[in-house]
Amino acid sequence: MTAESIGVDVEGVSKRYAHRVKGEVYAARDVVLHVKPGEFLTLLGPSGCGKTTTLRMIAGYEMPDAGRIRFGGQDVTHEPANRRNIGFVFQNYALFPHLSIFENVAYGLRVRGIDEAEIGRRVGEVLVLVGLSGYEQQFSSQLSGGEQQRVALARAIVIRPRVLLFDEPLSNLDAKLRVQMRHEIRELQRTLGITTVYVTHDQEEAMAVSDRIAVMSAGSVVQEGTAEDLYHRPASQFVAQFVGRVNLVPGRITSIAGDVAKVAALGSTVDALVLTAGLSPGAAVRLVVRPESMAIAPVASGSGALAATVTSRTFLGEKIEYLLRCADETLQVVRYDSGPGDIMAEGSIVAVRFAEGAVTVLPETVAAAKSE
Amino acid sequence: MIRASGHRDPVVAVTALVLWLLLALFVVYPLGMLFARMVVDQGGFTTAAIAKILTDRNQIRAFWNSLLLATLVGALGTAVGFLFAFTAARGRLPRWLLAMVDASVLLPLVSPPFTTAIAIIFSFGPRGLITYELLGMKGVTVYGLTSTFVSEALTYFPIAYLTLRPILAAIDSNIEGMAFSLGASRWRVFRTVTLPLATPGLANAFLLLFAASLADFATPLILAGNQFPVLPTQAYLQITGLFDLRGGAVLSFVLLVPALVVFVLQRYWVSRRFYVTITGKGAGETPFNSISPATRNVLLMVCATVALVIVYFYALLLYASLVMALGANHTFTLQHYRVIFTEGAKAIRDTLIVAAFAMPLGGLYGVLLGYLVTKKAFIGRRSMELVSMVNYALPGTIVGIAYLIAFNDPPIELTGTALIIIACYVFRYGPTGIRATVALLQQIDKSLEEASQGMGAGSATTFRRVTLPLILPAFFAGLGVVFIRSMTAISATIFLVSISWTLITVKILDNITELALGPAAAFSVLVVVIVFVVIAAIGRLLRLFRAPGNVPMASLLGG
Repeated sequence: MTAESIGVDVEGVSKRYAHRVKGEVYAARDVVLHVKPGEFLTLLGPSGCGKTTTLRMIAGYEMPDAGRIRFGGQDVTHEPANRRNIGFVFQNYALFPHLSIFENVAYGLRVRGIDEAEIGRRVGEVLVLVGLSGYEQQFSSQLSGGEQQRVALARAIVIRPRVLLFDEPLSNLDAKLRVQMRHEIRELQRTLGITTVYVTHDQEEAMAVSDRIAVMSAGSVVQEGTAEDLYHRPASQFVAQFVGRVNLVPGRITSIAGDVAKVAALGSTVDALVLTAGLSPGAAVRLVVRPESMAIAPVASGSGALAATVTSRTFLGEKIEYLLRCADETLQVVRYDSGPGDIMAEGSIVAVRFAEGAVTVLPETVAAAKSE
Repeated sequence: MIRASGHRDPVVAVTALVLWLLLALFVVYPLGMLFARMVVDQGGFTTAAIAKILTDRNQIRAFWNSLLLATLVGALGTAVGFLFAFTAARGRLPRWLLAMVDASVLLPLVSPPFTTAIAIIFSFGPRGLITYELLGMKGVTVYGLTSTFVSEALTYFPIAYLTLRPILAAIDSNIEGMAFSLGASRWRVFRTVTLPLATPGLANAFLLLFAASLADFATPLILAGNQFPVLPTQAYLQITGLFDLRGGAVLSFVLLVPALVVFVLQRYWVSRRFYVTITGKGAGETPFNSISPATRNVLLMVCATVALVIVYFYALLLYASLVMALGANHTFTLQHYRVIFTEGAKAIRDTLIVAAFAMPLGGLYGVLLGYLVTKKAFIGRRSMELVSMVNYALPGTIVGIAYLIAFNDPPIELTGTALIIIACYVFRYGPTGIRATVALLQQIDKSLEEASQGMGAGSATTFRRVTLPLILPAFFAGLGVVFIRSMTAISATIFLVSISWTLITVKILDNITELALGPAAAFSVLVVVIVFVVIAAIGRLLRLFRAPGNVPMASLLGG
């Protein structure tokens, strides 16, 4: 049931609304996105960043104040949702409570005037696909959250939409089911090859399902890339903090050689990769250090390391989380547990060593929020 | 958030205009005429009529009597209702017992307003089954404050039950368990946790009962007697006995004052004082046992006693309808039913015709107005909703007298027609459908309509296949309430019946006045049966359409 995949282009789309206190506010501002045919793109960002507004404009539930939206090159900017041939999965599923599961899934087919035998065949097929055959005559109130989610999914794909759109589809499920469902959604999308735009505020979920992620903040896309790009090469402190956990350590560049800068920080000098242009010696910067890219060892074990004090430790089974005090900075460190006896005591002095090439540097911004 | 749309939609504009005209004609105009009749005499402004009534000692007594009666009914009814609600919510009753409690509470809700009153006369009257037959007392008088207030409390306590039960059920028993674990006794927990949390609900129930009693016309007319005049009956007697329309208008306006105070208190004061006890996960499988087994048994006994009294009253009514003359000749007979189906046939036919017209019109009116004020933007949207509630909130006596005054003379002469009764029912009981529609539409998430749209459906298809089926329960609720009230109401329509169009309830009242208690009992039984059949049919329809919800029973009460 694979249809031909098409690309989705969002070209400089904006949406304003009147705010009672702030006056005119942009919910989305000059958003540019190019989703390739068959690609799974996720819009990731905190609440209020404009990701849902953007998705709803792609769906046709909101009309942009400026910009164009194209499906496979065809301009659909002013087409309402019912003419765009989309599959939309709502956060609350939006199953029709008065219709059976069969009728819920059949709804879009009936609207299209497809004959009864074909409807029966296609609904049956798609219910098998989401693992719900036998549920045809049930009603949504009789289903669990995960099952309702699958019905919503079945209802969206049965019409063979050109684009599949998800608005935080997993946020009403419990943690375990969320992990399971995101795999199922990913598998299904791969099988069907439908171009997909997915909205979430959960960075782990975004990394798990997407080909590519667009991080949004304050109505705009601030960085786009694969999960690895975003995690290892964040272009801003916002992205560094939003995607994964990070230490942002203040420092000052002393010299630059090629793409490696020497940074005075933590009472020492640290080598860091320079990813952004425009940094020169003397600039105030932040070192970007992921908690898992630091090794710690009892203090006697060698030179070239920073000394730090363990202020707290949390044993989590597979890993141990430490908070270290190092030259008046707090560092989060995660170490995988290699066996009993591998644990540093609280209050002990340890040597901290950064993994090779794992430290990057970003310019200090005024708006740098919390540094955890 | 509900997005209002269709700003310049001509269909919306025309519908809104028509509804405004109807509201102006059947809500605003009659009340205006009622007020005018009080203060305008022979073309000039005068307060003479008001002064005359307000200085009449008998009428002042009626005013205070009304307040006293309403206070007593409010207190006793709330107490009994709370007892039932607490037992139902905390008594861990088996399903069948809960169903029995609900059924015994349902009976007074769907009966003509004076069935309890008749049963009390049968039991405690001069030839009463208990006073005369059982105790051999002679010359007892049942009429007066006591019997009136007991009868009203028994008739209206289901309102308190239906108001309090969801509130008590919503109080997480874990909160009580928490207090218990801190060392409080069960009684202390009840006193310091449960009762304070239920207080807004109790206040609300009291006010609802107070208003119901204040507006009740049938019970005091039968039971209060000459010694205990109250406002609704005084207004009725002023008009039917003394042919003093102006005096009746003034009396009904006097009734308006406390009714309005209670309405404002209930809507704007009590309704803002409800506590929300959200405690994360619900009580789960092992809720805290808020009451000890001994307390539970006592509560059950008390509830069973009250339920038995109700069942006894209705059994007595049925029995009285099947014997020659209760208290004198207990020979089995179908005579009374023969009477109501011959002499009373016209009343039955008229009532059913009126109900048959009022029901669909009222249902349609409710859904239409409810949909319009929730989903569409037009000028005067808020005020339309408010005006539509006026006839519903006012005591029936006021509405009846206002209609009588407004539609008695040209330009709009409706007295003596069925239309005036139908209009009265539609605009007085249709608002139940409005409220149900508004409540339902607010629950329907915007995403349901969007989902339909996303799958390719246009707005017409979306309305027909998604919105309409979802507000169908509100339509049926409107239908049900209008029909049931058409069968049981009297306080407004007693002023509107005529030789051409009469009603069963009025006929029952005539029978009682003529001491033809057998036919009165037979009529009452007939009404209860018809109402039960219709409620069952509506329940079946709702299931057929798989629509969640039910007929909102709490709105069925009052004359």
